[in-house]
Amino acid sequence: MAYGKGRSGAQALVESLERAGTEVLFGYPGGNVADIFDRIPSARFRFVLGRHEQGCVHMADGYARATGRPGVAIVTSGPGLTNTVTALGAAYMDGIPLILVSGQVPLSQIGTDAFQEADTTGITRAVSKHNFLVQSADEIPETVAQAFYIATHGKPGPVVIDIPRNCQEEITRSAYPERISLRAYHPESTATSRDMNRLARLINDARRPVLYAGGGTIAAGAARDVAALSRKASIPVATTLTGIGGDGAADGAHTLGLAGMHGSPAANRAIAEADLLIALGVRFNDRITGKVSQYARKAKIVHVDCDPSSIGKNVPVDLGIVADVKDVLTTVFSRVKAADRTEWLEKIRSWRESGRIAEKPSASGAISPRELMEAIDRRTKGDAIVATDVGQHQIWAAQMLSHRRSRHFLTSGGMGAMGFGIPAAIGAAIAFGGEKRVVAILGDGGAQMTAQELAVAAEEKLPIAFVVVNNRSLGMVRQMQDVFFAGNRAATVFKGKYLPDFRKLASAYGIRSRRVERADKLAAAVGAALSARGPFLLEVMVDPEANVEPMVFR
Amino acid sequence: MKEETYRLNCFVENRPGVLARIVGLISGRGYNIQTLNVGPTEDGTVSRMRIDVLGTRRVVEQIILQLRNQVNVIEVVSRRL
Ligand SMILES: Cc1ncc(C[n+]2csc(CCOP(=O)(O)OP(=O)(O)O)c2C)c(N)n1
Repeated sequence: MAYGKGRSGAQALVESLERAGTEVLFGYPGGNVADIFDRIPSARFRFVLGRHEQGCVHMADGYARATGRPGVAIVTSGPGLTNTVTALGAAYMDGIPLILVSGQVPLSQIGTDAFQEADTTGITRAVSKHNFLVQSADEIPETVAQAFYIATHGKPGPVVIDIPRNCQEEITRSAYPERISLRAYHPESTATSRDMNRLARLINDARRPVLYAGGGTIAAGAARDVAALSRKASIPVATTLTGIGGDGAADGAHTLGLAGMHGSPAANRAIAEADLLIALGVRFNDRITGKVSQYARKAKIVHVDCDPSSIGKNVPVDLGIVADVKDVLTTVFSRVKAADRTEWLEKIRSWRESGRIAEKPSASGAISPRELMEAIDRRTKGDAIVATDVGQHQIWAAQMLSHRRSRHFLTSGGMGAMGFGIPAAIGAAIAFGGEKRVVAILGDGGAQMTAQELAVAAEEKLPIAFVVVNNRSLGMVRQMQDVFFAGNRAATVFKGKYLPDFRKLASAYGIRSRRVERADKLAAAVGAALSARGPFLLEVMVDPEANVEPMVFR
Repeated sequence: MKEETYRLNCFVENRPGVLARIVGLISGRGYNIQTLNVGPTEDGTVSRMRIDVLGTRRVVEQIILQLRNQVNVIEVVSRRL
């Protein structure tokens, strides 16, 4: 396209975002993005107005987790940008592709402590994969193209584009590049055919192999390939928290579920006893390994990841393969022999049986977390997208809901950012144009961190069931205090039982709601929440003494 | 493992912000840069940064891999001093 007379940098940005495939832009306006917002009503993408910049970026994140396409957000300079830091960090830690455009004061004023100036590239350096400070309007199309490339290639992550106001106003003729040329950034596989043969041989020789799928498996779109290999060679599959769904719901007999600190006994036992651990797109962080010297002691460890710096970082490995997880699995599949491994699978079955946690009903007769999760599961059958906040409810949802598909369990793993749940659920619901049921599982603490975004769910009439798992406390921290601080529940128990009154909060946004206190009313209430046409808030008063189990410390 | 001094020669794109990114990556992880020297190369679009850091081999290898992940880093060569 030729831009004879040229157009403003702001218009060039909007066109570039369109060219890059943006369908939805989440954002919040302000002075230093005014020129861009002026062009938004005529853009080909949809715009969604959040209520806080953290919410906007979590929405873009939820959109990306649910679809695999980069989420896109825009905020103003200064406070607009600083409000996004937590949400950028959440996306960065979990490797979620995202583009954040921020306004900046005019180039001539940078460094003068101008009104609403912030050092955006400095502030976001540690929470983004890369960032750009645009120097002229001419750079805008190329920068947008590069940002999308960087966000989605190699290990995905958030990329920030900071655009000074004068660059938005200037006229430019530069066009969106036909191809992207980055001189120094070429994420590539270094895997050789020998590596693949070695991996296949290790699998064929192993008697007690375990596959371990992390978020990188989902990013690579490899859930089905994991399941296929698992079935062919009878290898059980465990997942990380962000890898939930990355096992492609391997056969029941092969599913180990979550491993790690709150993992199933069967998964942790299998890893401890394995003679081969095939880790796919995991980071082996401390919530997974516990004490590294004790981790998977009997196993040879194979680590496949697209990020070379991740391999061997936390756990020494016997074979490291820098490559796309899907590529490796498809190559190795034909070289792996079909096998039964009946003895190994039988052992796992018995661990699964004995590991079933016998739950005692709560003394108070209050609703137990399991009763709630099972009631939700019976309605959704694993077909709804579930977004969680952070805390006990997050782990209960991970452990107790059935997970059948990848990109159907959205949770802040690496950052553990409270406030993620409500906006991430909204981003996911918007991605599917309101056609897909979304369930947000929230704590009564975290729900208060981004509750203002309920306005967006109401405006857009999104089919989201906001389930507040109300234990009147910051349960996860309370549990930690009970275990490690002799029950000194400092600052973790809320004083009022109905403070806030979540039903009134919902009604302030015009959202229908219910509160359940008794187990016999649970099924009907969950049914109402999950069949509502628009948003619905369900407050479930659960046993405040309920704990997350198991909790493994090594 | 014992700590030793390593010299990292980083060839990077000559753009604003690259130095800060690289120094931030190293210092943000708690490692002290002992010497830092930045200069041009024959190719005006490429700069060379010579960075001496003290650390164990494992840590320094990790730093190098993370430096190579940076979008503006063209190559890193290292040696023990
Ligand atoms: C932004 C943020 N602040 C603090 C924490 C520490 N933290 C982790 S879990 C938790 C308690 C969460 O309470 P709630 O939302 O009520 O969920 P519950 O654990 O009770 O299910 C806290 C405070 C965090 N993860 N994120």
